[in-house]
Amino acid sequence: MVVGLKEVSRRNAIHVMLVYSGGCNGCDIEVVNAIFSPRYDIEQYKVLITWNPREADILLVTGAIVYAMKEPLRKIYEMIPEPKAVVAVGSCAINGCVFRNLVGDVKHNPEVLAPLEEIIPVDVKVPGCAPRPEDIVAGVVKALPKILKAP
Amino acid sequence: MQAPNKNQQVVEKELPIGPVHPALLEPFRIRFFVNDEIVEDCEVVLGTIHRGVERILEGQPVERALLITERVCGICSNSHAWNSVRVVERGLNIEIPPRAMYIRVIAQEVQRIASHLIFLGHAMEVIGHETFAMRAFLLRESFMDILYYIGGNRVHPSVPVIGGVRPRCEITEGLKKLILELLDRGEKMFKAYVERVLADPLVMSRVTGTGYLSKEDAIRLHAVGPTARASNVRFDWRMEMDEYKPFTFDYIFLEDGDNKARVVARALEIFECIKIVRQALKDLPEGPLVNRNWVPKRMKFTDSYNEAPRGELYHSYALDDYGRLRHYKIRTPTITSLHAVEYAAIGDHVTDAVLTIASADPCLSCCQRVEVVDVKSKKCKMFSSPIEVVKKYGWKR
Repeated sequence: MVVGLKEVSRRNAIHVMLVYSGGCNGCDIEVVNAIFSPRYDIEQYKVLITWNPREADILLVTGAIVYAMKEPLRKIYEMIPEPKAVVAVGSCAINGCVFRNLVGDVKHNPEVLAPLEEIIPVDVKVPGCAPRPEDIVAGVVKALPKILKAP
Repeated sequence: MQAPNKNQQVVEKELPIGPVHPALLEPFRIRFFVNDEIVEDCEVVLGTIHRGVERILEGQPVERALLITERVCGICSNSHAWNSVRVVERGLNIEIPPRAMYIRVIAQEVQRIASHLIFLGHAMEVIGHETFAMRAFLLRESFMDILYYIGGNRVHPSVPVIGGVRPRCEITEGLKKLILELLDRGEKMFKAYVERVLADPLVMSRVTGTGYLSKEDAIRLHAVGPTARASNVRFDWRMEMDEYKPFTFDYIFLEDGDNKARVVARALEIFECIKIVRQALKDLPEGPLVNRNWVPKRMKFTDSYNEAPRGELYHSYALDDYGRLRHYKIRTPTITSLHAVEYAAIGDHVTDAVLTIASADPCLSCCQRVEVVDVKSKKCKMFSSPIEVVKKYGWKR
């Protein structure tokens, strides 16, 4: 297999941006304080965190989407240069968790716009409330081929 | 628009930070009004992550309350779940087995340690000392492991249920040994960490003397929890709770009232939490874990206070004839503490002001509120408290 020049250069610095769009903070802390901290240490795989969308490759979104964060989220997604991937972390971003459908009982909660797929395209979903740090690392790794193999 | 008056000099500049910003973990907005980098006024704008939790709780069965309220906050989830079951236990006089009480206290105190360690890490990150931040997060992992072993989930261990604790949260002899081992290791590492932080001249020069909050201001602006205790407000809700009566530990009161006091108060509180967990594990009483002898029925409006990691947490609701929730109200500690630190940040340099805001340990996802604005009369008001609603309409709609 021939490894392209782009793949080699991209592999050395994957930048991840986190957007927290209304949840319970749990996934957020798991992402920033657990997988970037010494025990899980995703930086050893050359995945770095950034807060600038123009630098980012992967967008991690946590939380059920609320009205105030809908437009900023779209703007941030458009700012990220191609190739880009989106990882939805946690049940809130995937199906709204308790805020949208608590075992089918909460029929309509107008404050919450989850799932994330209706707002921006999603590549990888990491389920769990809150997902384990290992799962988040696996989700980020699963999103890598899309970025590395892109022309 | 009027032309600016020549005599009138405009010096005030606004420095907005947020909602998505590298210095902030959570989406909220701080507006600093600065004059030559000295903060003259400060405003924290909430409302970017309002999810309508109190509204979706309306009409749910009471057993489900702890499931939703636990998801209010991801850092102090156990105190929310515990407080929501305490309301119905107080209202319907449900007896709790002593073993369940001890396990609840253990889960609460371990989560308090984890929460304070997040604060220490976040404060060091704001100061700019990455190494101390990373060490705090590494220390936190061993306490998160304890929560994981007790509850089966790192963030939402979901320990309490109405009448006791979940059967899966049983603390066996082997688990007891494991927790004690993790506590010993954690305490030893944390002691070394605190000594190193307090001996660091760089960090100490940043935190000492900035963000001063006097005792009078802390009471007037209703600061709660460690933020108030660092300004020598001598109150802790654990003094009032029956669950904490069997344990002997110290409450941390400091007199300085600056950022250093708020950092040190939380660091010292961790040692007290470890003390409580050790005592609870040592004399853990035998007996059943949960009392299922209760039926949901009509309950008067009841409230409950709890000492969350950030301070006083208030939950209250009433139940209708079928045991459904009515008028759920949550007041989290952050929403009252924020005003105090807004006030404390005035007069400091901008870089210190960000640290002052962070020193209240703001947990913004809990404290979002709806505000109703009348466009015609230009008046705004928060939603009236349930006591007023109940007095006006009665608890049955």
